[in-house]
Amino acid sequence: MQRHISLLIWIFTFLIVAAGLVALYSASYHNPRVSERIFYDQLWIALIGFGLMFYVSRIDYHKWYDAAYFLYGLMLFLLVLVLISGRHALGAQRWLTIAGISFQPSEFAKLFFILALARYFSGCRSAISFRYLSFSQSLWRHLIFPLLMTLLPMFLIFKQPDLGTALLFFGIFGVMLFISGLEYRYVFSMLLLCLLSAPLGWFVLKPYQKDRLLVFMNPNIDPLGAGYTIIQAKIAIGSGRLFGKGWLAGTQNQLNFLPERHTDFIFSVIGEEWGLLGTVFLLLCFFVIVFCGLRIAEQVKDRFGMQLCIGIITIFTLQFVINMGMVMGLCPVVGLTLPLVSYGRSSFLISIIMMGMLLSLSRKRRVF
Amino acid sequence: MRIKILRIIIYSAILLVGINLFYIQIIRGQRYFNLSVHNRIRIVPLKERRGRIYDRNGVILADNRLSFDITVIPQDILDKERLFDFLSRTLEVDRDDLLRRFDLKRMTPFAPVVVARDVDKKTAMTIEENKFLFPGLYIQETYNRYYPFGTVGAHVLGQVGKITAQRMEEIGDYGFTPSSTVGYAGVEAYYDDYLRGKPGGIQIEVDNRGRQVQLLSLRDPESGEDIYLTLDQRIQEVAARVLGERPGAIIIMDLDSSEILGFVSSPSFNPNAFTSSALQKEVGRYFTDKGNPLLNRAIQGLYPPGSVFKTIVAMAGLDTGKISADTVFDCRGYFALGNRRFHCLHVHGRQNLLEGIYHSCNVYFYNVGDLLGPDILHKYARMFGLGGLTHIDLPFEEEGMVPSRLRRKMENRGWYRGDTLNLSIGQGDLLVTPLQVLRLMATIARNGRDVQPHLIRKIGKKNIVRFSTIRHVGLARGVYETIQKGLRLAVAESTGTARHLNIDGLRVSGKTGTAQSVPGKEEHAWFAGYEVAAKTKIAFCVFLEHGDSSYYSVRLGKELLQELRKQEIL
Repeated sequence: MQRHISLLIWIFTFLIVAAGLVALYSASYHNPRVSERIFYDQLWIALIGFGLMFYVSRIDYHKWYDAAYFLYGLMLFLLVLVLISGRHALGAQRWLTIAGISFQPSEFAKLFFILALARYFSGCRSAISFRYLSFSQSLWRHLIFPLLMTLLPMFLIFKQPDLGTALLFFGIFGVMLFISGLEYRYVFSMLLLCLLSAPLGWFVLKPYQKDRLLVFMNPNIDPLGAGYTIIQAKIAIGSGRLFGKGWLAGTQNQLNFLPERHTDFIFSVIGEEWGLLGTVFLLLCFFVIVFCGLRIAEQVKDRFGMQLCIGIITIFTLQFVINMGMVMGLCPVVGLTLPLVSYGRSSFLISIIMMGMLLSLSRKRRVF
Repeated sequence: MRIKILRIIIYSAILLVGINLFYIQIIRGQRYFNLSVHNRIRIVPLKERRGRIYDRNGVILADNRLSFDITVIPQDILDKERLFDFLSRTLEVDRDDLLRRFDLKRMTPFAPVVVARDVDKKTAMTIEENKFLFPGLYIQETYNRYYPFGTVGAHVLGQVGKITAQRMEEIGDYGFTPSSTVGYAGVEAYYDDYLRGKPGGIQIEVDNRGRQVQLLSLRDPESGEDIYLTLDQRIQEVAARVLGERPGAIIIMDLDSSEILGFVSSPSFNPNAFTSSALQKEVGRYFTDKGNPLLNRAIQGLYPPGSVFKTIVAMAGLDTGKISADTVFDCRGYFALGNRRFHCLHVHGRQNLLEGIYHSCNVYFYNVGDLLGPDILHKYARMFGLGGLTHIDLPFEEEGMVPSRLRRKMENRGWYRGDTLNLSIGQGDLLVTPLQVLRLMATIARNGRDVQPHLIRKIGKKNIVRFSTIRHVGLARGVYETIQKGLRLAVAESTGTARHLNIDGLRVSGKTGTAQSVPGKEEHAWFAGYEVAAKTKIAFCVFLEHGDSSYYSVRLGKELLQELRKQEIL
């Protein structure tokens, strides 16, 4: 069984990446905004990535446990750094350049964050803590403190501004908190608190972010802007029908209706060129990865491993579900990329490293 | 176990995505396919209407007129060469130029590119008649700002232009955002947040001939709010005519409420030049013209006030008790300081304060100023608002400068007695704007009640009353009366410097000023005062840059008041 899981992960990761490259080639093909270089870029990153995946899979995941808090600190440092001196593009400061290489700290932040959170959750719930902590102490340790651990990077990322990734952090926290065994009543009251305070978040949003949420609810609000992009994305995907229009033949994408098709909207390229067969195929690949990941989580030996595994799956799932939802008009446009498919070096590397970590975790499962 | 629950949630989400895909791609697939085949969705921006600007009597000072832009939608072009040939011929523009600009402005295939703005009717009709031959060519209706009165009162109104590109960047890369018109000077800028509306747009589905099949989505443009100013356009016309081409400014204000009734600066410009394609060449000229037509001299021009400042010196003297109305100084035509002589224009002989004022005797005030010293002079100048903003509702107002010993010390220069003497007659480093001088006179006329000069009466449906702030410049008893007497005598006395303003049926008071400017150029001419007999009591200021002598500003003032009387405006 163990062998099978690992194999499945390898195969389907490979399939996803391959599909992504094919789509990326098409997205960059006649694109006046990006050169075809990005395809080769991604290809190289993919090759390096697989190597990395192999290497990571061989590392005992307990090593990550040791480094978790250090990496959390490093994450904060990088996030602050990018706010101070990051490179500006598309109205956001998300990239940092060190030694000539530019990368997105918020992508790395995702990984370091779940490491730290996993370590924390695995340690805070010992038998002793149940019996000898007062209510408020318990609340602090099991809920408040990890919440603060989450809010800190969330805030820094939000400042970039990167609303999507910031919300992602909260989603990850929610799931990992749930898994950590927190009593249900706390979980529900947390949920309630979030729902009640969400409207307050409205005031913190920048005007264009507000616009994005409003347009999602009613595309009529912005028929020229985001409302137009959403309908074009739907047309692109929908027009693919069952078999798609064929590789490089996607008219909506080839004719430049979707400016962000090599990043956020790449799923629309797949939908248009490969039809339902293509989209469902990709969805199934992601499903298999999630399936394997959940299996591993059930069987892994220690709490840290389980939390880490769940963290990885959550990141992965939230990203691909929201991204696909975005492109189909099910979610507001929040700028989350499709893992292993969208163009973006940092995003790809982190995703593939996480696949490697899944492999590493799968080796240490309880064997029956 | 919890993982089981998570599993269920995740699988449900994936299923949801899958179902939606099925829905979009299979159930609605054919429809989307049809839409994609001929790129059948068009977007049309709808321009918003900017708020109008009215004067106090409901006369429209700034309006919007319908204009036509020629746009091209890149994705619809069939034969680019032929299209641009035709455009080049019809618009009478060089073809390569046109093409180059088109390629530059082109963003996405679906966003209309404006190739010609505000075309005349004949051109518009030619395009309209021929556009079926050239798919991709459209006429776009839009609004253009229009000022019916052209150069009259241009500085108060200001001008408008397109919003800058950097604001657009924040929106990111989703779709197309049409650019808004925004105010860049005058009331257009100050009240831009109210005047500016929000653009709208529609999304339509068209058939293969470009005719609308269905309206997909509509966002109505939001009009801006109209604003009503305190100006009286009839007064503006008279003032502009009287001032003519001479560089300078005329400001007229209601004495009780400080509502600005007239406000002109010359040389002026035509704000229509900034939005009308026909007048566009003028814009370049305005920026390079040495006469500086874009400068609003009433609030941005900084000049020495000359003798007008003597009013402050007099009030300072009376209030501190250093002099009284009966204090006499002997004018021999000069004031001796060391081996220098500070001159007066005539030999006035012995004079009391009132005579000193209405004769505008320099020597009298050299004496008073010398007694008071620079610190007191500075203090009273600041008390009456010199060297500070009036906070009128216009942007870019200048503060001016009242020299002081402290400032000199900071600049490592000394303060000398001669500087005090110069200051006493309104010369030296002292710089004021015509509006500040006007405000000074109004405060004197109102016995120290300083009311906020303002231009706004109503925004939309709301009257603006709260806006007028009141401040009291309290002086010793009788001081204001004395000064007012002096100012009245300047007009009423046969030897008064402003005697030409003694018009039948009117009661004018005020102070003249002839201020030295730079060596080689004529002096500046001032008159500032108030009138209380007509049905509307006013304060006014006439300023002529390099006007040579206050005689001319007085004469202009006379012309102004007589004309206003004749037209029964006053």
